[in-house]
Amino acid sequence: MRRLAHLLETRQISSTEVVEHYLAEISKQEPVLNAFITVDAEGALAQAKASDRRRREGQALSPWDGIPIAVKDNISTKGLKTTCASRFLANYVPLFDAEVVSRLKDVGLSIIGKTNLDEFAMGSSTEYSAYGVTCNPHDHERVSGGSSGGSAAAVAAGEVPWSLGTDTGGSIRQPASFCGVVGLKPTYGWVSRYGVVALAPSLDHVGPLARTVEDAALLFSLIAGPDPKDATSSDAREFSIPDWDESFVKGLKIGVPEEFFGEGISPEVEGAVRDCLNALEGWGAELVPISLATNEYAIDTYLTLVTAEASSSLARYDGVRYGVRIPAEDSNTMFARSRSAGFGAEVKRRIMLGTYVLSARQYGAYYEQAQKVRTLIRQDVLEAFKQVDVIITPTTPSTAFRIGAKQSPLEMYLSDLFTAMANLCGIPALNVPCGRDSRGLPLGMQIMGGHFQEELLFRVARLVENHVGVEGEVFSDKL
Amino acid sequence: MLIDRQEVMRMARLARLELSDREIDQYQKDLTSFLSSGQKLQQVDVSAVEGTSHAVAMTHELRKDAVGESLPQAEILSAAPEAMDGFFKVPRIVEEQE
Amino acid sequence: MTSYDTVIGLEIHVALMTESKFLCSCKTTFGAPPNSQCCPVCLGLPGTLPLINEKAVEYATKAGLALNCQIHFFSRFDRKNYFYPDLPKAFQITQDAFPLCTDGFLEYYMDEQLVRTAITRIHLEEEAGKLIHSGPTIVDSEYSLVDYNRAGIPLIEIVTAPDIHTPRQARLFLEQLRLLMNYIGVSDTKMEEGSLRCDANISLKPAGSSVLGTKVEIKNLNSFRALEKALEYEERRQSKLLDRGEAIRQESRTWDERAGRTITMRSKGDAPDYRIFPEPDLPPLNLDPAWVSLIKVSVPELPLERLKRLEEEYGLSRYEATFLVNYRDFGDLFFELAEIGLEHKSIVNFLMGDYARLAREHGHMAAKRLAELLQLQAEGRISQNQAKAVLEELFSCRLSAREIVEKKGLEVVGDPAALQPVVAEVLDGNRELAARYKNGETKLLGFFVGQVMRATQGKADPETVSQLLRDELAD
Ligand SMILES: [Mg+2]
Ligand SMILES: [Zn+2]
Repeated sequence: MRRLAHLLETRQISSTEVVEHYLAEISKQEPVLNAFITVDAEGALAQAKASDRRRREGQALSPWDGIPIAVKDNISTKGLKTTCASRFLANYVPLFDAEVVSRLKDVGLSIIGKTNLDEFAMGSSTEYSAYGVTCNPHDHERVSGGSSGGSAAAVAAGEVPWSLGTDTGGSIRQPASFCGVVGLKPTYGWVSRYGVVALAPSLDHVGPLARTVEDAALLFSLIAGPDPKDATSSDAREFSIPDWDESFVKGLKIGVPEEFFGEGISPEVEGAVRDCLNALEGWGAELVPISLATNEYAIDTYLTLVTAEASSSLARYDGVRYGVRIPAEDSNTMFARSRSAGFGAEVKRRIMLGTYVLSARQYGAYYEQAQKVRTLIRQDVLEAFKQVDVIITPTTPSTAFRIGAKQSPLEMYLSDLFTAMANLCGIPALNVPCGRDSRGLPLGMQIMGGHFQEELLFRVARLVENHVGVEGEVFSDKL
Repeated sequence: MLIDRQEVMRMARLARLELSDREIDQYQKDLTSFLSSGQKLQQVDVSAVEGTSHAVAMTHELRKDAVGESLPQAEILSAAPEAMDGFFKVPRIVEEQE
Repeated sequence: MTSYDTVIGLEIHVALMTESKFLCSCKTTFGAPPNSQCCPVCLGLPGTLPLINEKAVEYATKAGLALNCQIHFFSRFDRKNYFYPDLPKAFQITQDAFPLCTDGFLEYYMDEQLVRTAITRIHLEEEAGKLIHSGPTIVDSEYSLVDYNRAGIPLIEIVTAPDIHTPRQARLFLEQLRLLMNYIGVSDTKMEEGSLRCDANISLKPAGSSVLGTKVEIKNLNSFRALEKALEYEERRQSKLLDRGEAIRQESRTWDERAGRTITMRSKGDAPDYRIFPEPDLPPLNLDPAWVSLIKVSVPELPLERLKRLEEEYGLSRYEATFLVNYRDFGDLFFELAEIGLEHKSIVNFLMGDYARLAREHGHMAAKRLAELLQLQAEGRISQNQAKAVLEELFSCRLSAREIVEKKGLEVVGDPAALQPVVAEVLDGNRELAARYKNGETKLLGFFVGQVMRATQGKADPETVSQLLRDELAD
């Protein structure tokens, strides 16, 4: 992106040209890919023109002024439809921008469109969207992952240089891994959730997806920082892009948890991750075998908490103030009919599960128990970080699966097996591509760190990126 | 089945979902399989810990009591499925029947 | 017929008088056009997040301190989930497991007895919107209209222990609580505007028994009268049922003011399952003990303390002191006047009399202005009747009491020499009656005094006149 910014700054290219390029890519690829729910061509071009004017007048808002970005469709954009991939919000137009969107606009980025996702971010394949599945750019018969499938696929396909996603149990990292892009789930609280439609507030995170580690770091620096509108946002703390000095790797302690390797993991995935680990070791890092035994409970803990919080977060969709209304005799029936008509099967399933685990008779056994197990998992992970600087695992046990391959909900839930732990602990975790499998599908590696250790994650990821190489640089023809 | 049909219907009523018979059957299965896979969570000894509701330690900054902008009435009602005289309109309210 | 002990507990919701709402910065003004004081947050639009108003926490803490509660430095917010058209998020942000205040009490007089009611807890929560029904009641309305201006106003919920024993005591408690809230300035407690609302739980048990009976909840008691009447009705209804050997049904009832009875709202068997869990969007509250100490210092003199001071230090009767406590503004004025050095009893008499009537109409008068009037009266320069006239003038013009007295020539005539001719004249005009007086009909003295007063347009000092008359008629 630094290069693109340089082209813009030296007026070798205009923002309008950049946006037109991406809009052309979108028109070309969308009929098959379906990464977008809404493309705001008109708005993006208008923003590009404004940006070009600013640049001419020497008033550019930032070096990134005029660069387009795509935003997951569960992040509120003022005046631009935000559907959460749900029928319920098919016509919902937010009255305000999410904090992250305002921050992007403040530095002059233009919002080119809203990307596809599993309805209300509930899923791991973008198959549960009311607006059709998003295919994997590397194999159109396979899923792009989820729930930020649209955001990952759009970046991987070159429809957009970078994008924002959300991650509640792996929803940035898993699609990033499936599509071969960099994706970060930051430390809980470092990026404001204001305006991001809640799935499970104690687990929801917003983060960047990009082609390169540096772009991801840059995008993260644009959205990170305290927000007084979000009571759970962390204390004053900015993020700036590291200098990419590589000497830090000498003596870096990398935890390799045994539970994330071996049985049940595709040998190609494991092979690629181990290859990178060996490279890191070769540069002077120390590989430390560790155990994260509590990961055994991560999925069930995660599912209990996420369904419970979701059942409450999604209760507001009742057909009174906005969204779908199916007329009925009385209010209760109207609520039930509107919700049933507006929600897809997976959303209803999770609401049912969440209602059950919160109900008076079950609260202690499920929700309360899960919160306590969450504490044990957190203790386990934080204990590990006393011995090591980062933890490296595969992001997913396998590469992108075929559309329609996962039939049972439980099978689908297992997609988050390696990623949910970071959400439960609020620690940062990042996916960096680490090669391709024999079918040409991207492989991904997850790097986790202690709270607020994003800089370290980016540094390690950058080394991995150097090792495996980056594909498809933006505007390489112009450089 | 760990969970009976009545219970599934009670959940649906609580969550304000109108489910078809087929959906009830389906969710009864899903709930049951979810609950049986979640059994191992029940076995974990948590006697020594408190629950975690926020994974990252944070201080709670309270808001000063200052009035800010509200939205104009027309904007507030702009997405309302039904509105009347500046109000949102809803059909007859009956007490919850369980 | 068996006799029963009545057990009553109250739950009171008090709207806090903050400028902005509890969780967003919208205004809290009463009576604004519908849906004109709303924003994305209080409408519960997708993606919005709550932010706690510090003032609401301060007011709740102040209420807790005034009610002798333990203030918890750690407290937490929870979500109470239920669907209702007036609840934008379909959950209420409240405090369940870890409330801000617990274990307090309120003391108040019932007849001559000082009684104490325990406060179980006080917690913070958000108000719902307001519903307007198309028909006379909710059940016979075809539709309802929703106004979210009120949604998100901060409330405290005060829960008492079940240790109130009569409907009248419940009323006295609530009156005292309301007064207390006014004293500490956290709420305007206007029951007619819904800023103070009361629910009551009532059960009966055989006299002396330690086993509690089945409790019935009465919702939405929105006046003191409604509270007392509904509880009296419920006492009768339940005792009749028990006398007949019938069981009391655990249920929620509502007070029908017109019919003068309580009616079933819903039976408790179907009590909603609120699925309460910790609010993930809000970190727990961690109060700084130093901050709480500052609030403690800001708690003013409370009604009971003031009552004791008026009785003990100012020698007022319970009746007088109660007046000055219940009407706090009058109490404040009393202290100002007393400070100036006027005699306590006469201040009270004055304030409770003509002044009260006029002040209600015109608003209060500055203590200094009033003091001058009271001074004149105390010095015997004007009579009580004259004082009343001067007071009326004081409310309608800018002159001082002294200036009014001078201008109108109202000064009392107490000089016997000046009054002697008038007395003579009156007796001269009523010779027959004078003769009857001399024959022992001494009660006629009043008549003669009245005549003299009339002849002097009330300026004569009645004491002097009586003395002169008695002297004259003794001959
Ligand atoms: Mg309450
Ligand atoms: Zn508001």
